[in-house]
Amino acid sequence: MRTFRRLLAACLLVVALPSQAALQIFACEPEWASLSEELGGEKVKIYSATTAKQDVHSIQARPSLIARMRKADLVICTGAELEAGWLPLLLQRASNRKVQPGQPGYFMAAEQVERLDVPQVLDRSMGDIHSGGNPHIHLDPHRLQKIAKSLAQRLTQIDTTNKTYYQNRLNDFQTRWQIAIQRWQQQAEPLKGLTVVAHHKDWRYLLDWLGMQEVATLEPKPGLPPNPSHLAGLKKQMDKQRATMILRTGYQQARPSEWLSDKTGIPAVQLPYTVGGSNAASDLFGLFEDTLALMLKAINQ
Amino acid sequence: MNWSGLDISILGPAFLAGLLVLSTHVPLGREVLRRGIIFLDLAVAQIAGLGVIIAYNLGWEFGSWQIQIIAMSAALAGAGFLYWCEKRWTDIQEAIIGCVFVLAACAGILVLSSNPHGGEELKVLLAGQILWVGYAQLIPMAMVSVLVLALWFGLRTKRHPLLFYGLFAVAVTSSVQLVGVYLVFASLIIPALAVRRLTTKALQYGFITGAVGYGLGLSLSALMDWPSGATIVLALVLPGIVVASLVSK
Repeated sequence: MRTFRRLLAACLLVVALPSQAALQIFACEPEWASLSEELGGEKVKIYSATTAKQDVHSIQARPSLIARMRKADLVICTGAELEAGWLPLLLQRASNRKVQPGQPGYFMAAEQVERLDVPQVLDRSMGDIHSGGNPHIHLDPHRLQKIAKSLAQRLTQIDTTNKTYYQNRLNDFQTRWQIAIQRWQQQAEPLKGLTVVAHHKDWRYLLDWLGMQEVATLEPKPGLPPNPSHLAGLKKQMDKQRATMILRTGYQQARPSEWLSDKTGIPAVQLPYTVGGSNAASDLFGLFEDTLALMLKAINQ
Repeated sequence: MNWSGLDISILGPAFLAGLLVLSTHVPLGREVLRRGIIFLDLAVAQIAGLGVIIAYNLGWEFGSWQIQIIAMSAALAGAGFLYWCEKRWTDIQEAIIGCVFVLAACAGILVLSSNPHGGEELKVLLAGQILWVGYAQLIPMAMVSVLVLALWFGLRTKRHPLLFYGLFAVAVTSSVQLVGVYLVFASLIIPALAVRRLTTKALQYGFITGAVGYGLGLSLSALMDWPSGATIVLALVLPGIVVASLVSK
């Protein structure tokens, strides 16, 4: 009983502490949590709604999501309908005026950059097509740089007292990021012009940046699970025109890509996809380092 | 442990939704047990879901009143068919109910095979997202519950089996869209099972059993940061066992 009381007292103490001046950030995905960390440093407190192990297209409702959204000063998500299945509901249930669409506290990363594959006509028969274009933007380091700039502006807008702090963090990040991009592009030289098979269209921007090409997806249409006849067709296609690797994320099923790899001898590669997707991908820099390392290893096998 | 989720404004609507579901499902659940057709609700909910998918594929939007009418009609037709089976093949009705469940589920998968968005919506329909329920959605739910209860208890003297099947279809279709099929099944069967041997005040105790389960489950899901629907289903077992063992003494 005594331990319980102590525990309760400790909890109350935490609750009773004056709410720190730190800006409360609700990030829908780990990549945006990581970027907020880079720019906000000790001035922000970040909560990531999902992990690299989850498919962010759909997640289960938990009370803590509403509680965190309620306290948030800034919500940073991908947008472009990636979170269409749960973000609007969550915003509505949390009814936090600061972070509603149109408010400074509502930051959609995809709105800051140009998207690829924006459909001319929307037709449900094409599968899970987002009207805002392909939303998996964070794997292009140039777009990420642009988003970082907009995010720093937004942080400044919400928290003007720390303007110089955010500006300095941004400058520091941009310098390190620019150097890293140069290095990555040199490293990735052997990947240029190569073709891949992807599980889902997650790699659109990564491949675009690296000058690589996606020749097929394991999903017959975006969002639909791979089926036997489609996989058999892919095997035939690969017999004629061999791709160099088959890419998937950690949250996608391994079996379809392993099957195709088994039948064709093309290496199947699981990439981290986002921060936390592998041990090495502990931040945005690590994410790109590890992604390139894994792809280069696959072609040198 | 996460104390911030333990907030009445976060858990309140979900708890009220639970109480509304229990209000109709405890009496209907006792009837289901009496008739020995435990899987009726799975079959009826699945048929309602199939109606929704087909309507969606025909171009109606989710959440529209047309979809509601189609889901309700599909569930009523399915329940009507199962009532006919009860009269025609009493001894194998449970087996037919089971077959109808898998047939409707697989037909749904086929219809959805070319429709990824429908897949997500169907998952929500079946697994449920009780936490997203807002006060506004509780009003139609409350009206349906009052209607079902009024007819069920109002016509208690001349209750026709068809009345049970019809009301059951209406109650399940409206609750399954708010809380999902697992919670509907648990709300229907666990409290009714716990108070099975009670001869007096069975409904009241069944309702309290369910309410304690919902309260416990929602609190646990807030404290431990677990998905609410599945946590409530597991939490319902605890008061269920306690009440059942008290009753049998």
